[in-house]
Amino acid sequence: MPQDALAFLGRYALQRLAALGRSTLMLFNALSGVPRPIRHFRLLTAQIHFIGVQSVIIIVVSGVFIGMVLGLQGFNILKNFMATGSLGTLVALAIIRELGPVVAALLFAGRAGSALTAEIGQLKASEQLSSLEMMAVDPLRRIIAPRFWAGVISMPVLALLFCMVGVYGGKLVGVDWLGLDDGIYWSGMQASVELAGDLGGMALKALVFGLVCTWIALFNGYDCKPTSSGISAATTATVVQSSLAVLGLDFVLTALLF
Amino acid sequence: MAGDQALIEVSGVHFAYGGHPIYRDLSLTIPRGKITAVLGPSGTGKTTLLRLIGAQLRPDQGTIRFDGTDVHALPRGELYELRKRMSMLFQSGALFTDMDVYANVAFPLREHTALPEEIIHTMVTMKLEAVGMRAAAALMPAELSGGMARRAALARAIALDPELIMYDEPFVGQDPITMGVLVRLISNLNSSLGITSVVVTHDVKEVLAIAHQVYILADGRVLGAGTPEEIARSADPRIRQFVNGDYDGPYSFHLQGGRSYLEDL
Repeated sequence: MPQDALAFLGRYALQRLAALGRSTLMLFNALSGVPRPIRHFRLLTAQIHFIGVQSVIIIVVSGVFIGMVLGLQGFNILKNFMATGSLGTLVALAIIRELGPVVAALLFAGRAGSALTAEIGQLKASEQLSSLEMMAVDPLRRIIAPRFWAGVISMPVLALLFCMVGVYGGKLVGVDWLGLDDGIYWSGMQASVELAGDLGGMALKALVFGLVCTWIALFNGYDCKPTSSGISAATTATVVQSSLAVLGLDFVLTALLF
Repeated sequence: MAGDQALIEVSGVHFAYGGHPIYRDLSLTIPRGKITAVLGPSGTGKTTLLRLIGAQLRPDQGTIRFDGTDVHALPRGELYELRKRMSMLFQSGALFTDMDVYANVAFPLREHTALPEEIIHTMVTMKLEAVGMRAAAALMPAELSGGMARRAALARAIALDPELIMYDEPFVGQDPITMGVLVRLISNLNSSLGITSVVVTHDVKEVLAIAHQVYILADGRVLGAGTPEEIARSADPRIRQFVNGDYDGPYSFHLQGGRSYLEDL
């Protein structure tokens, strides 16, 4: 039996490695070559609208609520130490350093990543990718590339938006409801949040998460079995792999950045 | 470029899909400007042949030449250039579902040419007229019947005036009238535009009426070749069974292999 287990492990590792190779090749072929600015710009804006703009509502609503919960929990705990003046610092640092990029990326993977995988899987299953190839239009550059760039561009903006409304959510609870002084909330934040260190780190995390999530989503769609069960398996794989990748990378990036 | 030179030469192609051999030493030629029918029972990999010619799949062994060029030896960029000269009509039509019929037909023109919209409009209208679909220009693919979708896809396939059209099972699932229309269209496109046509199908009767040359594939290689008359007169019992659609003959109704019926029970 240990031999079987070993063989299984080896086979699994080889499959994962082969998939990594195929996905790298896909991304390389999609992003290499001469861009055609005008046409590609239009494709890109359409995808930013789909991937980015249409994710705004879920990002904003989640951001406000997470900020409000942090404000409430933080206020009640800090009150025990007579330290409610640090609420602004607490909310801002927690959101900007960790929750903003991570939660925004998880939401992004669930909303935009799964949709990308399903869309591309469906294009593949209905032979539309094949028919593009036969029309001498490279589906990697026509379909994959604009979606990839749209994801990479949208994710940092979404994370920034999440942070902004999150901080405002903390203020809604801490200041407007529980009566903390307005000036203390904002000045604590001003004194402790650094532009390069904290906001820059947030932007870098969001950029990496956006790149990885979009890549995973596109590859799973492009590589899926062209059947309905294949598409559903690929969509699930996208959400699972993206979530794990975001959480794992977040630890690595936090260790490196802060 | 002599007129009698073959447009496509398939020589010694071996191809296996997922460990299952599909072609074992397949060789055939597609003559320029003619309609070539490739017949064979379902599951003999006829569609695979078209994908090999279009270089979407790569043979394990052997070469496929399009107008003298080995399609599988080309780098990516040149392959895409070469593909502008061929087109393929997919079984499903494979129309872009988020565009209407007009935009579908205009798509290759907009992608590959810098023509102004007025000229594209004229060209699209002409292509749609050629397949009798001008009235459906504003419809979405989901609103089309199977036959209409195939005709719209055909208009898109001829948009760039290709030298070669490959038809993948064009008659499957069509009513007799639509089938007749498609047969006529294929024949007309070939005679009026001189487009080399490859029709992969198992609808023997329809295609024998229009083809100039016929290949019958079975067991991974060419079983018989010739003009439709020669095929119809063939004495080979396997060809006769296929052409006449006999139930009994060299090909069994039951799939071969596996355990015996008694064992399975």
